[in-house]
Amino acid sequence: MPFLLLVSVFLIAACGLIYELIAGTLASYLLGDSVFQFSTIIGSYLFAMGVGSFLSKYIDRALVARFIYLELMVGLVGGFSSSLLFLAFAYTEAFHLVLYLLVILVGILVGLEIPLLMRILKERFEFRDLVAHVLTFDYLGALGASLLFPILLVPKLGLARSALLFGIINAGVALWSTFLFADQLRRRVNLQIACALVLAALLGGVGLADRISDAADNNLYADEVIFTRNTRYQRIVLTRWKDDVRLFLNSHLQFSSRDEYRYHEALVHPGLAAVPGARHVLVLGGGDGLAVREILKYPSIESVTLVDLDSEMTRLFSTQPFLKRLNHGSLTDSRVHVINADAFPWLDTNAKMFDFVVVDFPDPTNYSLGKLYTTGFYRLLARHVSRNGWLVVQSTSPMFARQSYWCIVETLKRVGLRTYPYHVYVPSFGEWGFVLAGTNSYEPPAALPGGLRFLSASNVAELFHFPNDMTAVAAEANRLNDQVLVRYYERDWRAIAH
Amino acid sequence: MNRRLFLSAGLIGLSSKADRRIEGGFVFEDQKTGHLLRDRKKTLPRPAREVRVPVVIVGGGIAGLSAAWELDRRGFRDFVLLEMNPRAGGNSRWGENTISRYPWAAHYLPVPDHGATLVRELCQELGLLKDGAWDERHLCFSPQERLFQYGQWYEGLEPTGAPGAHEQYRRFEEAMSGFRVSGEFTIPMERGGKPSELDRISMAEWLRRNRFDAPGLAWYVNYACRDDYGATAAETSAWAGIHYFASRAPDDKGPLTWPEGNGWILERLLAKLGRYVRTNALVYRIRKDGPRMRVTTPEAEYSAEVVIYAAPTFTAPYVMENAPRVDDFEYSPWLTANLVLDRWPSERGFEPAWDNVILRSPGLGYVVANHQSLATRSDAWVWTYYTSFAEGAPAQNRRWLIEHDWTYWRNAVLDDLARAHPDIRQCVRRVDIFRIGHAMIRPKVGFIWSQQRQAVAGGKGNLVFANSDLSGLSIFEEAQYRGVTAARRALRRISRG
Ligand SMILES: Cc1cc2nc3c(=O)[nH]c(=O)nc-3n(C[C@H](O)[C@H](O)[C@H](O)COP(=O)(O)OP(=O)(O)OC[C@H]3O[C@@H](n4cnc5c(N)ncnc54)[C@H](O)[C@@H]3O)c2cc1C
Repeated sequence: MPFLLLVSVFLIAACGLIYELIAGTLASYLLGDSVFQFSTIIGSYLFAMGVGSFLSKYIDRALVARFIYLELMVGLVGGFSSSLLFLAFAYTEAFHLVLYLLVILVGILVGLEIPLLMRILKERFEFRDLVAHVLTFDYLGALGASLLFPILLVPKLGLARSALLFGIINAGVALWSTFLFADQLRRRVNLQIACALVLAALLGGVGLADRISDAADNNLYADEVIFTRNTRYQRIVLTRWKDDVRLFLNSHLQFSSRDEYRYHEALVHPGLAAVPGARHVLVLGGGDGLAVREILKYPSIESVTLVDLDSEMTRLFSTQPFLKRLNHGSLTDSRVHVINADAFPWLDTNAKMFDFVVVDFPDPTNYSLGKLYTTGFYRLLARHVSRNGWLVVQSTSPMFARQSYWCIVETLKRVGLRTYPYHVYVPSFGEWGFVLAGTNSYEPPAALPGGLRFLSASNVAELFHFPNDMTAVAAEANRLNDQVLVRYYERDWRAIAH
Repeated sequence: MNRRLFLSAGLIGLSSKADRRIEGGFVFEDQKTGHLLRDRKKTLPRPAREVRVPVVIVGGGIAGLSAAWELDRRGFRDFVLLEMNPRAGGNSRWGENTISRYPWAAHYLPVPDHGATLVRELCQELGLLKDGAWDERHLCFSPQERLFQYGQWYEGLEPTGAPGAHEQYRRFEEAMSGFRVSGEFTIPMERGGKPSELDRISMAEWLRRNRFDAPGLAWYVNYACRDDYGATAAETSAWAGIHYFASRAPDDKGPLTWPEGNGWILERLLAKLGRYVRTNALVYRIRKDGPRMRVTTPEAEYSAEVVIYAAPTFTAPYVMENAPRVDDFEYSPWLTANLVLDRWPSERGFEPAWDNVILRSPGLGYVVANHQSLATRSDAWVWTYYTSFAEGAPAQNRRWLIEHDWTYWRNAVLDDLARAHPDIRQCVRRVDIFRIGHAMIRPKVGFIWSQQRQAVAGGKGNLVFANSDLSGLSIFEEAQYRGVTAARRALRRISRG
């Protein structure tokens, strides 16, 4: 019996620490500046526990029943704390207020626990042993929780479900206490009903936890969020509205299923159809497999090598049924080799040759990505293109980022390539630009594969005409040691935002 | 580096709790070998072997290796290079871990302009310069520099200042272009330099006389002196201070740099010249022996026609009889540290650059060794942290440096970095520290055009000095120039017989 009581101490101590860790982690995830968040949250929490301990002296009757109600309250508030905070972040302006109110409330409740329990147990132990045992198990519980939290809970369960799990433990301790202290309780059944209700609510919460964090995302995106995943490199979000599925990487729109065919047909066919009998194709970036889908429309293709940094992304697009339907299962085709690697070092360490290369990287929003748009990169890339081959580069919008676009053209020219800039209108993006580059002179292809929805042999040539508001402007070449492109890009898009 | 500033940083450091375990230690500890020279009589063994060879080079830093480079490319192969350490390289040594290579001291070479012919010849030989164009893979990637001020990072190194400061920067830049076209501030310095009144005043005094008083500019110039000479602007000769700003007209945006810093050049020199190099060969005695010279190491005694002395010049009196006077040669101590990070610390403002400097910190900032990587992503980094002990007497600072243990210096480094990265202690896994007692010659007021420096540098006979300290400017280009010049003198001497 005494040992079983001490197990309760162990469990409630663990619960108490978990709620504190969850609040601190969530605040640093959502607000950043982890040192500040953790310090202030731990401070407020410890202070609130002190307040709770002080208040415990005003409880002087029916200690056991009060303790059981207290456990139920801790379980409810603590268990839902993480979900509440997610929702507060997504739907209200008052995240800070909710955060600190919750921390203080949980802190007060947790502060009440141990003093109350000690008073309940004081009949059964010597005072000396009581203090020693209770505090030992209290600290052991804290140790257990602090190890469990980073190793198991955060990676396996996530924050919302971890909180609920420990809420259930609190409620479990309450229910169990109705049996342990049966002799000291009068209306036991009422208490047990209360316990059952709280447990049911928390269990229901577990079912909803995923929906809750999705709901938080939903509020950030206009459409219904159908999938989210945080990978090592990015946050992948898929949304759906009627039959329109959109992919966002770090909140940047990558495609809309309604018009992506325009983008991907334009990316691939003007160049690839101009390499008769092309056998080996390289795709850099483009882990969604949509460019590969277009490439596989040529019967001469023997191999497609897709190099994309993010293995989660390529796995998702090779396994998720809806996405597989969208890319026609291209990533699981036997001719396609998926390589998860950083493109520049990968090119630098092999000597493979390709008849056609598709470069579909994210826009040059920072100096790291900017390296993939430099003379250094294109010089290396050109060495991997066969003599009659072409390479094509996704080059941001010649309309919204005009100087950036023409900077990419200039950069390709600087490494001795002949460039053929073209553009296409994609409703979800606006005007979008590409540059075809190679060592030969380019003629638009006379024939395209069958079944295209946007391009035909008669309209390819039109893509190469630029209306007045998108024609060439002066720009310097982008070099590794002087990345002008990142500066152009920032300036171009800032001008749009104003 | 200044004691009081460091202690104040310690207080900031105290506030961060829950530190993780950080490993590391001191590296090299050259002073232990060096001090054998001071106490040589008792400890060093007498060599068992005697070797006759026309030329002996003492010291395997860039200067010694450049002497070897010149002898070798002139077709002269009959020489040895003696280096006391297990690895040659001196201040251009480097290290490596699973994340990256990294420098231990010298980490870049400014893009040499057309006047620096020897450096350009070497660059051509190494494939850095082809048909008049620099290979951009070896030039520092964007962004090159950033400065931490007002609680966040800004692009570039010049502090943004009060109104009017801008005008002073412009005027300063103009004054420096004026010095540049004068042709007196060249690399190598011997090419255009001549005795000058500017060597008689300090850089701080020159700023004062020319009414440059914007605090940001004063900080910037003082930083440059601490960074390049390990001395404050108040002690640095104005000639040397100006030389830094006025000596280069590069034809591309630089500098040249590699993860392992100038270790990249070192390794290529060693690949070619390694067969002449004898490591673990501490030269503890050099004396005349009739027309020849005797050079003693614990393992062998060499009898040579000419000795090229490319070890730091101040060591001459410990090694040779009748050494020239070298008491004007004063050196600044430095500390460098390589930090391994497995998380990028939280920070605000401009993106991480190659060189990252914290305004008004006692250190000189840090260089990200794996900045020069082709990858767009990385999940671990090596930072090389630098600080020179510019304030106070060098000897006292050297004692301070040696007296304290690794934990003390590790804390000093982390406390300094915490000014810009409060959670640095949660991101760092390892800190290795290099204490360099006599790291850099100090071009203090009067030294550059002193009789003593010119006498040692221009010395004749069969003992030729060659260390970069002969220029009073501690840079790769001067080390190379001194080494090559010494080699040419040695060859002339030998052909005379
Ligand atoms: C922290 C720091 C950073 C620097 N950064 C740069 C930079 O970025 N760019 C730049 O251009 N320059 C830099 N420098 C300057 C650097 O010193 C020079 O570039 C150059 O490496 C100096 O070469 P050196 O051969 O003249 O001297 P050292 O490198 O000092 O070489 C002397 C050699 O002699 C050996 N030796 C000494 N005594 C004996 C003996 N008795 N017997 C045998 N061998 C002996 C030593 O072990 C050493 O290998 C830096 C210096 C320091 C200290």
